[in-house]
Amino acid sequence: MEARLNDPAARSRLVGTLAALVILWPLLQAAEVKPGALFDAGNLKVIGHFLAGFLPPENSREFLGFLGQATLETLAIATTGLALAFLLAVPLAYLATAAGRERPALNPLTRSLLTLLRGIPELVWALLFVRVFGLGPAAGVLALGLTYGGMLAKVYAEILESVDTRPAQALRQSGARRPLAILYGLLPQAARELTSYTVYRWECAIRASVVMGFVGAGGLGQLMDQAMKMLNGGEAASILLAFMVLVFAADGLSSWLRRALDAPPAAHPSPFGWRSGLVAAALAGSIVASYRFLELGIGDLLSIEAARSMAEFVSGFFPPDLSADWLDRVGQGVWETLAISIVGTLLAALLGLLLALPQPRAPFSFVLNTLRSVPELVWATLTALAVGLGPFAGALALALHTAGVLGRLYAEALANAPAQPSQALRLSGAGPGLAFLYGTLPGAAPQLIAYTLYRWEMNIRMAAILGFVGAGGLGQLLYVALSLFHYAQASTVIIAMLALSIAVDQASAWLRQRMR
Amino acid sequence: MTLSATRRLALKGALACACAAAFSLPALAADNVLRVSAIPDEAPTELQRKFAPLGKYLEAQTGLKVVFTPVSDYAAVVESLATRKIDLAWLGGFTYVQAKIRTTGTAIPIVQREEDAKFTSRFITADPAIKGLADLKGKTFAFGAPSSTSGSLMPRFFLQQAGLNPEKDFKNVAFSGAHDATVAFVAAGKAEAGVLNASVWDKLVEQKKVDTDKVRVFATTPPYFDYNWTVRGDLDPALVKKLTDAFLKLDPANPEHKEIMALQRASKFIPTRKENYDGIEKAAQSAGLLK
Repeated sequence: MEARLNDPAARSRLVGTLAALVILWPLLQAAEVKPGALFDAGNLKVIGHFLAGFLPPENSREFLGFLGQATLETLAIATTGLALAFLLAVPLAYLATAAGRERPALNPLTRSLLTLLRGIPELVWALLFVRVFGLGPAAGVLALGLTYGGMLAKVYAEILESVDTRPAQALRQSGARRPLAILYGLLPQAARELTSYTVYRWECAIRASVVMGFVGAGGLGQLMDQAMKMLNGGEAASILLAFMVLVFAADGLSSWLRRALDAPPAAHPSPFGWRSGLVAAALAGSIVASYRFLELGIGDLLSIEAARSMAEFVSGFFPPDLSADWLDRVGQGVWETLAISIVGTLLAALLGLLLALPQPRAPFSFVLNTLRSVPELVWATLTALAVGLGPFAGALALALHTAGVLGRLYAEALANAPAQPSQALRLSGAGPGLAFLYGTLPGAAPQLIAYTLYRWEMNIRMAAILGFVGAGGLGQLLYVALSLFHYAQASTVIIAMLALSIAVDQASAWLRQRMR
Repeated sequence: MTLSATRRLALKGALACACAAAFSLPALAADNVLRVSAIPDEAPTELQRKFAPLGKYLEAQTGLKVVFTPVSDYAAVVESLATRKIDLAWLGGFTYVQAKIRTTGTAIPIVQREEDAKFTSRFITADPAIKGLADLKGKTFAFGAPSSTSGSLMPRFFLQQAGLNPEKDFKNVAFSGAHDATVAFVAAGKAEAGVLNASVWDKLVEQKKVDTDKVRVFATTPPYFDYNWTVRGDLDPALVKKLTDAFLKLDPANPEHKEIMALQRASKFIPTRKENYDGIEKAAQSAGLLK
């Protein structure tokens, strides 16, 4: 009797837990995890004092003027940046995709260009462009354009490859050339998904353009950075509120647009009615307005002088500094960054799961939304106050933001998991805890793990830049090297970031495949 | 050979882009503007507030429209001066040296406050056991921004003179990013000691924003040259002269000028020259911040 009541998987689970602890231990060390610091009376007093300063939010007329201007700038940067990304993505996707080709020969050159564009975080691009093109929004727009251009192109290419190829094949065999075959054979099927993904990216671009302000690329982030650095709670509160309103509004608009796309077209002779016209006009209008608002002076960027200063700037990065001394420090940075990303993601998975479980959902959904609407860099300034500057602050910041994202996804995955096993267990007398652990969790686990791994891929990029606000890792090395104009050293750091994000992508893809 | 429809479309698109680019050019050549920026040693809103009356004064003196761009990154100001995105900048001693190198020696420092000719940094701590620089071994330490003169370079140089290497001898080195942030970190015990600009420390003490029973100064650096106003080297010499004279003419006896000078925390502006910063450059080289 006794034996039968034991967990049949106990041994393998125990071994798994022990193995995980053995692997995690050095990572916890590298991330300087010291939970005690969170509850240190002095630290609690400092952060309490800072948070108390949040009330009342700063509302002087002059500051609200700055805030309004910065909010518009953020919106305009995101919109113009995404327009640029789209312009880049269309030809790149066309070159990279196997869609509409006789043989699925992939274009390795374009593919690796896309990896390069995506692998370097937009914040790093922004930091570089701020140096070349001067202060302000142009740097943000270009950075977004490049990174998101790379992402859009990759996803466009994959979407085009995923739809039914027969219409395109038929067109090609009857003599149509590749562009036409794609245009008439593949695009009609893929259009909805392509548009939906583009709209989703616009929403992401708004969050990203806030973050880029932290390196001087204009918008809300620039105000936020200063308010946080100066520990001005009232200003920080106002900016955070403005940011949340902006993100929620973009979220709402984007999901409304995507729902509208999912509705079947009306039974008209032409699918394009006045509403499509209105949407198209609004889209074109907002892109033009954003472009005008930013006063980018693209012409200035295309001048010979700009090209020369760009060339001069870029040549400073070559050859990268490969001295043993510097490589040693970069190696430490890589290890620390890896530790921040893994510890942060695991903490987030734990916290997210805890927040995803309780019913009713309403108060917990609110907590999750709040957690995820505050960007990591902002969390990092707070956690640095709570536990001191260093990698642990970075890991905590990642954990807080990611918990918000993962919690929401987990809640959905758990709600969609098959209910029967858990019901069966409950009916045969198991408590709710056991029914969850042995009934619901195993069904949802692959989905949960996949989401967590995806987030890890994003977090490694974020972990690499958290150092900008003093959270250690590669970011701090890059920040100091660029501040001192040691471009050869900065170049080594950027290469390390790129290699790290590619390695994590591969590791995560491999793990996901193994889980299947 | 006939062009396919898509190819024709692509060509038209390219032509439209080219036209748009060509038309946007002349709009940028508006040249009766003086573009000014400053290193972010204080909040940009504060910098903008401080600059407003000075900007009006410079507008009246030069007849140019004065535009102030706030930034959040020290190095961006240097690079903007080098790439001629700005004409006049408020720089620290080290950022001036960086600007001089980036512009192959053409950037010209024109004036500085009388106070800047003998500037100092203060080492602060909340730990009763720290009584001098030698006690810093094995402690956590906060600098300001990496390219700050008074919050990073000169303290590092004087630490080195005292036989201390921050990266080797301190337990942990952090960059708080700004002078007042350094005080907050030391007050909170985030870093066991830190260093900042003497004038910001004095201001915080005057405004009672720091608890001096807890946080105290345990060392002060010898004096060095710091902040100045620098113009890019290829600015019209007549304009450079006008700007220099405008600063030197500021007189605390004149109530209008008094407001400007109070905001700039200047008792008087004095002429400055490149050679004043040779000491900073040497210090930066020996501290390893310049290569």
